[in-house]
Amino acid sequence: MSLGRSAAQKALVRGQIHGGMKAALFSSVPYMGPAPRGVWPVPSESYSSEVGERSMELSLDQFQLADEMGFDWVTVAEHHYAPMSLTPNPMIMAGALTQRVKRAKIALLGPDIPILNPVRVAEEFAMLDTMTGGRVIAGMLRGTSNEYVTYGLNPAESRERFEEALELIVKAWTEPQPFGWIGRYYEFRAVSIWPRPVQRPHPPIYVSASSPESGEFAARNHISVGFAFTTVPFAREAVRHYRQQATAAGWEPGPDNVLYRLTIHVAESDEQAIDDIVSAGGGERRTAYSTSNRAVDDSAADAGYYGRDTATQRARHAPHDLKERMELGQLITGSPESVLSQIRALRDELGAGILEVIFQPLGRDKVLRSMDLFGRKVLPKMRDI
Amino acid sequence: MAGFSENHVEADGFRIRYREAGSGSTLVTLHGAGGLRVSRSHELLAEQHRVIVFEAPGFGASPANERSTSLMDLAATMGQATANLGLDRFSLMGNSFGGKLALWLAVQQPERIESLVLAAPAAIRPEQSIRVPAAERQGLMHAHPERQPALPPLDPAIVAKQETLVGRLMGPPRDETLEALFPNLTMPVLVLFGTLDRVIPLDMGRIYREKLPNCHFMLLYDAAHALDADRPEAFASVVNDFLARREGFIVNTDSGLIHP
Repeated sequence: MSLGRSAAQKALVRGQIHGGMKAALFSSVPYMGPAPRGVWPVPSESYSSEVGERSMELSLDQFQLADEMGFDWVTVAEHHYAPMSLTPNPMIMAGALTQRVKRAKIALLGPDIPILNPVRVAEEFAMLDTMTGGRVIAGMLRGTSNEYVTYGLNPAESRERFEEALELIVKAWTEPQPFGWIGRYYEFRAVSIWPRPVQRPHPPIYVSASSPESGEFAARNHISVGFAFTTVPFAREAVRHYRQQATAAGWEPGPDNVLYRLTIHVAESDEQAIDDIVSAGGGERRTAYSTSNRAVDDSAADAGYYGRDTATQRARHAPHDLKERMELGQLITGSPESVLSQIRALRDELGAGILEVIFQPLGRDKVLRSMDLFGRKVLPKMRDI
Repeated sequence: MAGFSENHVEADGFRIRYREAGSGSTLVTLHGAGGLRVSRSHELLAEQHRVIVFEAPGFGASPANERSTSLMDLAATMGQATANLGLDRFSLMGNSFGGKLALWLAVQQPERIESLVLAAPAAIRPEQSIRVPAAERQGLMHAHPERQPALPPLDPAIVAKQETLVGRLMGPPRDETLEALFPNLTMPVLVLFGTLDRVIPLDMGRIYREKLPNCHFMLLYDAAHALDADRPEAFASVVNDFLARREGFIVNTDSGLIHP
């Protein structure tokens, strides 16, 4: 710990502060072997522990590489019962990352707080913030509808649980005296967490703002927002609503308050990039994770999980083919120059200052080449956007 | 048992006894090798459904059944009995031996079965099956036999008659003809096993999950082979929910609210 330096100075030394856009690397830490698709929960009969181990190691390597390349954040998330993600507890993955990622912030987008014990979430974030010297970003999400089956929670109560849990977590981080919490969904007679977060008053919070209710909640509480598994047209409308509500609440979100996540593939040329994806079978239409159990999603929707514009929220998860994904801003692909111009367009359209990328999974070599091109030819120029 | 009336229906020349209670959508149940017994779980199911509990011909006080040549044959008779009661579509539940009988009925008339509940079904059994003397059966069937209500002593003649019939009809531990028809069973199926089942290993439940296209496999903690009698509230709760909400039943709709 270097005494006498402000947090901002330290951040400058670490290369954290710059103008322009920030880049985050997201990985769901997918299972890299053959597995069933289009169902949920996914049977684990074909699971190989060697493949699982290799998949986690590969993701850790990828995050470390991103850190060395100058990515501003690395991001993990919570998903259950499916090979698309091997981090049902992203806190554990983040714990491993504290030992590998030395400069970048470690973001969790997020734990699905309505299905967890909020005090435990507060404790785990505080541990991570301590182990990173204050480099944790605390995303807090509701999760997709199917996640409610995981621990047997009622999806109809998701939003109310979310809002209460978030408030309780912030209180647990910040209250220096033991306190009790008599909530609607949570009751604790005594809370007094050790360790406490390094960042004061607490780590930056990001929430989803895809639905109007969540955008209003974020705006009202001066919280940053992230958009993932959506499209630019949906996000454009949601961002507009969020900004409008923020203005009404008396503040103006800046670029760092808005994150947009998409899939990316960079190659030497536009044609090469498309060819890489198509030849790896990445051009086909796939069922979205959250809708791969229609009965569950229908049941959650009937219960009111999606809120007041259910149809729009469910349409957000519709599967698209390659061309549609590119048009909708779910995927940007091409040469470094054309990727950069698409990023500029996104920045202009959404005002998103943080671009979170998932590298299109095309096998180790192509992903590493894509990352290398992004790191050398795209990332430095994003600083000027 | 309170609320259950008793009646008979003719089918294939058999006079088939059944008991009935409740209203709503119909649940037909087929008993295990020990014969018809209306339990607390039936009562709880009848709070939300019209429950029809059949006694297969040859069980209980009915004459020895020497005409049914196979479970497939007996299933056709039971199907006829449901039709003669005027039932069109219904849900079907079978316990143990009755689970295999229910599967045979379902593969014969899948379009009539809305959903299927199999409680410790005997359609898939290990090669070395467990033969239990009648005297020890009560102890083996329950996780906590001491908690079960005392039953009147079994009539040895009825026990012998039922054992002969079950022995003749049960079929092999793995019935390829039956399993070959599993892909046709696209209705939601709920397979339940007690974690303490000492008659049919609960690992058999996995095979239904693998082979049936729309199957949910549930373990009932601290229950043995007679799982519905061991934990009637838990059993009836999940079955009622499954019958009402089909595949969507895996989503919890109970409120977690502590204080309004």
